[in-house]
Amino acid sequence: MLDVQHLSVAYGVTEVLRDVSFSVREGSVVALLGGNGSGKSTLLNALSGLIAPKGGSVRYLGEETAGLGAHQMVRRGVVQVPQGREVFADMSVSDNLELGAATRSNRKEIRNDMGDVFALFPVLRERRMRAAGSLSGGEQTQLSIGRALMARARLLLMDEPSVGLSPRMVDAVIEAILRLRQRGLTILLVEQNVGVAAAVAEQAHVLKDGVIAYAGQAKQLINNPEVLASYLGR
Amino acid sequence: MLMFSYLMATGITTGAFYGLVALGIVIVYKATEVVNLAHGELFMVGGMLAYTCYVIEGLPYVPSLLLAVAGAFVVGIITERVAYRSVLKHGLASVLVATIGVSFILKGIARYVWGGKGDYLSFPPLVSPEPLQFGNIMIMAQQLVVLVAALVVMAGLALFFKRTRAGKWMQATASNPKAALLCGLRIDRIYMYTFAVGAAVAGAAGVLMAPLTLLYPDVGFVLFIKGLAAAVLGGITSVPGAVVGGLLLGVIEQLAAGYVHSSVQDVVPFLVIMFALTFLPTGLFGVRGLRKI
Repeated sequence: MLDVQHLSVAYGVTEVLRDVSFSVREGSVVALLGGNGSGKSTLLNALSGLIAPKGGSVRYLGEETAGLGAHQMVRRGVVQVPQGREVFADMSVSDNLELGAATRSNRKEIRNDMGDVFALFPVLRERRMRAAGSLSGGEQTQLSIGRALMARARLLLMDEPSVGLSPRMVDAVIEAILRLRQRGLTILLVEQNVGVAAAVAEQAHVLKDGVIAYAGQAKQLINNPEVLASYLGR
Repeated sequence: MLMFSYLMATGITTGAFYGLVALGIVIVYKATEVVNLAHGELFMVGGMLAYTCYVIEGLPYVPSLLLAVAGAFVVGIITERVAYRSVLKHGLASVLVATIGVSFILKGIARYVWGGKGDYLSFPPLVSPEPLQFGNIMIMAQQLVVLVAALVVMAGLALFFKRTRAGKWMQATASNPKAALLCGLRIDRIYMYTFAVGAAVAGAAGVLMAPLTLLYPDVGFVLFIKGLAAAVLGGITSVPGAVVGGLLLGVIEQLAAGYVHSSVQDVVPFLVIMFALTFLPTGLFGVRGLRKI
């Protein structure tokens, strides 16, 4: 579904990603691990169209998409769930969800999809009139996932959904990702938490200093102390 | 007591108008963190366009008002293109200077087009110039028109932000530009329409106020300062704050003019800005620690 070849991204003269290649099969969950400053978020931002890559190719469903803008990627169903739960804090939960559907116009479909999101995350229905900023961290994570679903996401790019959450909420996030996978969504999951990655992903890639340093089965990664020690610093 | 109630009534009507000017400033600032220093000139352009339509061309009032508002909307789009989008990469300070440039250009154009017809153009009153009597209070009918119209524009804006998709998109972009991008919104266009809506509000204010102020190319500056004082008092990012700040400023100004000296009136907005920045840095309704990415 997604095929990234020799991708490089630079901020000014600083190269953040160098020659990154990997692919994501339709319907799979692929984890992308790496420590701080390894270029994970930059990679997601390049795939979402927030920054233009310097070189290489990004093919999505057979189409070259490197250099397209964020609104064009969202229309194609490539939607990022950003790190740190970037919700519209002073707007209501249902307004936030509607904004997720900003690229769509069929009111009836939008309403149906909102019903689907509420079925997936019932707490959002209870709190739909509340300001998004008043929700707990876990609820905001659910809201930002729900907002991405409202755009009719086919490929979800999740940036550290577990960060800053209590262990119980991390379990809830894992469960949500598994349910999304059951619904046939393709997910590229950026994580620092190896446990989360191993629980949901089949394939894993480890990013270090802007290059892919390890690629293989996610379940094996957690049992590979050498990889963990050298690439994730633990 | 009679004087007090008279001053209060005048204060509230002019205050509602200041609130309207402040609203336009706040709408643009909230989204872009830029005080559009050409805002007063957009107000002037609105008034001048209405003068052309209504007085020179003899169109009826309502179409004149709509045309003037539409004209200001277009000038707002041009302002965004010239003074914001193309300058933003050089920093917000450059944008501020660019908006000063726009203000001078608009004043120059106004002198060329509407100058030389006498220094001050007078806009005929829409309603009888006879003052109305409410109990002991006398009030000019035109002031009441401004008050009601200002309230209508404010209510319309509130509905626009609460109920329409475009309004929510603007609000979302102002509150979190990155998240707005990730929703697929074209935030560059939204900034453009934000400038345009702010300009349209200024244009509407200009048309409403024209019968009370006389029109001249420099009319915008004084009213811009008053609008800015009201906006700062209200917390610069708050829509209700702009309205309350405007009403307060109007009342303070009238009371100062009535009880201290009439020459104090024009100093009041500066005092209010200084007071607000010193003692109330976040204004009455401002949010502490508001920050853009």
